[in-house]
Amino acid sequence: MIRDVFPGIWFILPRFLFAVSYMIEVENLSKRYPAGLAVDSVTFSVKEGEIVGFLGPNGAGKTTTMRVLTGFLPPTSGTARVAGHDIVTHSNAARAAIGYLPESAAVYPEMRVREYLAFRARLEGVSGGAVRDRVAQAVDLCLLEEVASRKIENLSKGFRQRTALAAALVHQPPVLILDEPTIGLDPVQIIKIREMIRQLGRNRAVLLSTHILPEVEAVCDRVLIIDRGRIVAEGTPSELRLKLAGTPIVRASFRGEVAATEALSGLRGVASVDVVTGPEETRVRLTCLQGSDPREEVFRVAVERGWVLRELLKEGMTLEDVFVRLTQHEPSAPAAEPGGEAASAPPQGAQA
Amino acid sequence: MRKLFAIVGREWRAYFFSPLAYVILAAFLLVNGYIFAVIVNYLNNPMNAKSQALPFLFTNTFFWIFNLFFTPLIAMRLFAEERKAGTLEILLTSPVSEGTVVLGKFLGAVGFFLTLWLPTLVYVAILRSQTPIDLGPVAASYLGVALIGAYFLSIGTFASTLTKNQIVAAIVAFAIILVVFSMGLIENMVNDPSKRDVFAYFNLWDHMEDFTRGVVDTRRLVYYLSAMAFFLFLTAVSVAAKKETP
Repeated sequence: MIRDVFPGIWFILPRFLFAVSYMIEVENLSKRYPAGLAVDSVTFSVKEGEIVGFLGPNGAGKTTTMRVLTGFLPPTSGTARVAGHDIVTHSNAARAAIGYLPESAAVYPEMRVREYLAFRARLEGVSGGAVRDRVAQAVDLCLLEEVASRKIENLSKGFRQRTALAAALVHQPPVLILDEPTIGLDPVQIIKIREMIRQLGRNRAVLLSTHILPEVEAVCDRVLIIDRGRIVAEGTPSELRLKLAGTPIVRASFRGEVAATEALSGLRGVASVDVVTGPEETRVRLTCLQGSDPREEVFRVAVERGWVLRELLKEGMTLEDVFVRLTQHEPSAPAAEPGGEAASAPPQGAQA
Repeated sequence: MRKLFAIVGREWRAYFFSPLAYVILAAFLLVNGYIFAVIVNYLNNPMNAKSQALPFLFTNTFFWIFNLFFTPLIAMRLFAEERKAGTLEILLTSPVSEGTVVLGKFLGAVGFFLTLWLPTLVYVAILRSQTPIDLGPVAASYLGVALIGAYFLSIGTFASTLTKNQIVAAIVAFAIILVVFSMGLIENMVNDPSKRDVFAYFNLWDHMEDFTRGVVDTRRLVYYLSAMAFFLFLTAVSVAAKKETP
């Protein structure tokens, strides 16, 4: 009916109403493998100029969702539009709007970097005369100048990854879908790639998957946490922390044996006090009311009473804790040992 | 169209980056060099008919052994290699239809096959400088070579989509090609003329002999082109089906 006459209406209409251009719109998308449901009615959207992080443990359905969006796998049900083109009915137009970096970052090893980029540009339909320019721009952007005439098989993993990224954006697509773009790189290269992605995200829609949490904090404007095929949380990294933070906990320890319970339980904002007393040290765990921070009070009490304060910290919820809490399946287990506020570099960062 | 040429060009060039291509090229030139020596030897005898010399290049046993064994080896990498390396994901997520990918890869392989035959034109030139040769049958012979080669390669292309393992792909292709080829040879084993006609339709060896005589029979063209189209269609279906279960 009206949709047949003017198929773009469902894309155009929201643009007029909200003046927002969604470059990726996913509606109740599901993908079933013979082994089971990999993606379970996922709905989200990404607008222009936004970098969205797709966060989830291995096997959560990140790669499958991306493969469906890029037309590599057909969806079992649901729809998605990329730059306004339906991924099933207008697959070619949708695919032309996407720059895709697959998880494997596969490239043809026997080709030279510039030659490979030119091949990808032609494959994307860049016209003959423009190929050289586009390749030169991609080489510039991804800092590949020094290796541009070398064979890809002789390049280091970092350059290979950058070549794959350059190939994904050589035709200057409005949408970038990057599946684990920093996997297997060294820390310096990771920082470079992240800077690059931030820069690219200014005038494009970027959907980026990762299981590395610092990456999300460093790069993404918004996070989708996916687990077992379902989106379990969505928001900016700080929103997610706030939403799922729970009650703040303050830990303190004092030298020797002190009467902590009596002194601290009266403080404003403290709900309960647990004390473990030993001859060497008294350890205190204060469960606080939502939004309160009694650390300064604790310090004042210690000074008044002449206690030697050895340790004082507030346990904030890092994104990692949020992630663990959301994707952990045993209902009885509490969110694993939460890191202190000071512990800002979770171990995953080092491993990458 | 530009996208198709991009794929054809890449596939054709990719052959020259693998050692296998040079082994095939060397083996091919060795065998054909030997055949050429036999032809020259034959022409040295003034009793022999000169018109019989050149067709021998296309109708000897080595010609068939080469086609039966080497076309599977040429085609085996087309999809199997890319599936193993994960690069197929790039092709299939580009704004290019599966049909274009299949056709591009197939034409790249045919291009390499024809490149193998290119040096043999030197033999024709040498023979022509020594003895009169009618170029019509020569052109028809090369057409026959191209058609039969492309036919076998279309089977190889299909087999290459079935597995990630190139060796398995080559063996499957060889098995199918062997069936297709030997079906025609049954012609010589049956006596019933109506049955003979049916098998004759598939008798590639006789077809090739016709081509070397300069006979370009439309029935042959229809057979090769439709068989090729059939296998390429199967290839596209197989590629699409594999998308379901990566």
